[in-house]
Amino acid sequence: MTTTRASPQAPPPEPGPRRSRSVLRGLGELLITLGLIVLLFVFYEIQVTSWFSAREQEAATAELRQRWDRPSGDEGEQRLDPIPGSGFARLHVPALGPDFPFTVLEGTGRESLAAGPGHYAGTALPGQRGNFAVAGHRSGRMAPFGELDGLSSCDALVVETRAEWFVYRVLPMSEEAEGWNRGEQDPDCSGVAPIGGPYQGVHGRTVVGPARREVINPVPGRPPGTVPEEWRSRLITLTTCHPKYSAEKRMIVHGVLTKRYPKVAERPELRPPELEEG
Amino acid sequence: MYAWIWRHLPGPLPIRVLQALLLIAAVVALLLFVVFPWVEPRLPFGDPTLE
Repeated sequence: MTTTRASPQAPPPEPGPRRSRSVLRGLGELLITLGLIVLLFVFYEIQVTSWFSAREQEAATAELRQRWDRPSGDEGEQRLDPIPGSGFARLHVPALGPDFPFTVLEGTGRESLAAGPGHYAGTALPGQRGNFAVAGHRSGRMAPFGELDGLSSCDALVVETRAEWFVYRVLPMSEEAEGWNRGEQDPDCSGVAPIGGPYQGVHGRTVVGPARREVINPVPGRPPGTVPEEWRSRLITLTTCHPKYSAEKRMIVHGVLTKRYPKVAERPELRPPELEEG
Repeated sequence: MYAWIWRHLPGPLPIRVLQALLLIAAVVALLLFVVFPWVEPRLPFGDPTLE
């Protein structure tokens, strides 16, 4: 008697269903794999780019320190002549906590911004009349401007250069501008008020479309050259993407220069008291 | 796909597990250091500058 046919081995499945099953299975595996790749990409965008950027920011800072520490008696060296792609200033934002300060690099190209906040070439330098404009990432690449939406009016934006400290403060928000009187009441707000005149409509924080480059003009929103230089205020403008993780719009923060302190070479421990705010 | 790879890994079980982990690590490294840095500038994410 032959019982081989009755062995517990499963009968060979029909070729048709088997084939479609393995195709389905391959498709399933492919979809799961794609899902994992997308998750890995999110991790890359937020975390891995920050690791790369931290290294570059550190290098830019070390190079800047080295340049600042070199003694220089000569006028040309004292002047700020930013080299594209190199750091030339430090940005302290005490209200945003311990992630700061960042070294600000010259230029807003991809490479500058991968290393830290970048200065829009051609806009004013720290302390000058006009508009010192700086871009920074909101997510990933250390997200220097990740918390820009947390800034309030009068928060200090302190820019450190080789020879000076410049204390800018965030302008009143649009809803605060009318009837603004904190300039007298709050010591942190001294020197901060809606500027008026050609600066009507320049507020502490706005969200604009990505093509609205006029917000970094010497007088934000006005064509360059319409306001003579000696009438211009000394502003700082920070730009970042909005909403977070998107490139749909830009968040803009404007501040005005309220104080400046010279650095004393023999006393490096002298730092502006504004750095302790926050 | 994964079953096919697993069947073609040589050696006893621990060696196969090790090889599988190495394969995963190689793919992840390729994605993180080559593919994603290339793809990213072509995607509309997080440009903080004004045009």
